[in-house]
Amino acid sequence: MTRTALSPSADDARAVLVTALADVSRGDRAALRKLYSLTSAKLFGICLRICGNTASAEDVLQTVYLKVWDRAGQFEAERASPMTWLATIARNAAIDWQRSVAGRPVAAAALTDSIAETVADDGPAADALIIGKQTDSRLHQCLGELEGRTHHCIRAAFFEGLTYAELAEREQVPLGTMKSWIRRGLTRLKACIGDG
Amino acid sequence: MVDPGPTDMTPAEARDALAAELALGLLEGTDRAEALRLRLADPEFAALVAKWEQRFAALHAETDPVDPPAELWDAIAARLPGAPADDARTVVDLESRVRRWRFAAIGSGAVAAALALVLLTQQPPPPTPALAPQLAVARIEGEGPGPLVQARYDRTSGIMQLRVEGIAAGQLVPELWVIPADGVPVSMGQFDAASTAQITTAAQVRALLTDGVTLAITMEPASSIPSPAPTSTPIAAGKVIIL
Repeated sequence: MTRTALSPSADDARAVLVTALADVSRGDRAALRKLYSLTSAKLFGICLRICGNTASAEDVLQTVYLKVWDRAGQFEAERASPMTWLATIARNAAIDWQRSVAGRPVAAAALTDSIAETVADDGPAADALIIGKQTDSRLHQCLGELEGRTHHCIRAAFFEGLTYAELAEREQVPLGTMKSWIRRGLTRLKACIGDG
Repeated sequence: MVDPGPTDMTPAEARDALAAELALGLLEGTDRAEALRLRLADPEFAALVAKWEQRFAALHAETDPVDPPAELWDAIAARLPGAPADDARTVVDLESRVRRWRFAAIGSGAVAAALALVLLTQQPPPPTPALAPQLAVARIEGEGPGPLVQARYDRTSGIMQLRVEGIAAGQLVPELWVIPADGVPVSMGQFDAASTAQITTAAQVRALLTDGVTLAITMEPASSIPSPAPTSTPIAAGKVIIL
């Protein structure tokens, strides 16, 4: 389960990624190759879940590493976890694709139950070395304190990249209702996490 | 502001909610565009968005890793600046002159304009003969000494013979597309970059191979099934001429 490439410890894994990113920022292609071998499966999993089909996720994953190539110099090791930084780029790239005209019809057609069943909600993966469990448990705890449907919708937004309109349609409630559920949920979530 | 939000929210709370909405990807259309603009223009708002991204990032631990196809790295490497692969350079060169295929393919009007840039030499279609034709040909070409693919299509058997010149064998393989009147490319499948190749056309593709329809070739990651959409600009294009 644990990504063996990143053993033996989370600190070591982090250090390897931080070094690779620093090398990439200096135009080191071999470092990008290394970064890719260590992180592409995780980032592909993220893209696949949002894009809903393999071909588009592959396309997005290409752009993710091209973005990483361009932006590696912006990564600040003292402020962020490298894996969080990479995962956020991947998720945003997938969302950008889905919100684009090109992605829309494909995504709408491809967001099938089969995809959702394949990758959704089988509990936390043992990926503790890549993304620490500390905040994880706190976030989960706070999400768990939200009203059930709100919790469910926030998760669907995160994992499947659903918009307000799509969530409202799925839950069969007016758009305004969905917005107020989620906003209230987000406000409570922030208060619960208690980090400002 | 995009939306006043629930009336019990202060402006600061509404702003933070907007940051969360952008971070989660809940917005679309003009709401999203406005929030993205705000993030660019306002570092404080950008910091709020980043904070929410960070909060939610813990959820990524739940997403299982999935190995991407082995050839995907090659496609990335080919797109890095200064990539050495010949096929990649051809695509990049064309990209510098032609808008991204994706953009072109969005509107059927735009696709004609974009392809007009690619179709450098092209024979005008002859008048349609009266008798039901059985054979069609196409000359699918790129720039100067670049790719030239001559296609001969037997409409009875549905088999297309290709004579291929000037396509470098590399990490990416050539894929043939037919672009019907709606401007949405339909893959006819990938083919060998060696001197000759043969494609047996699928039934739904045969109906699209009408006189004057455009064929185009892009370089794609190898796949055993036809790609759903091209991921790069065409390296060659031409029109079907029914004999």
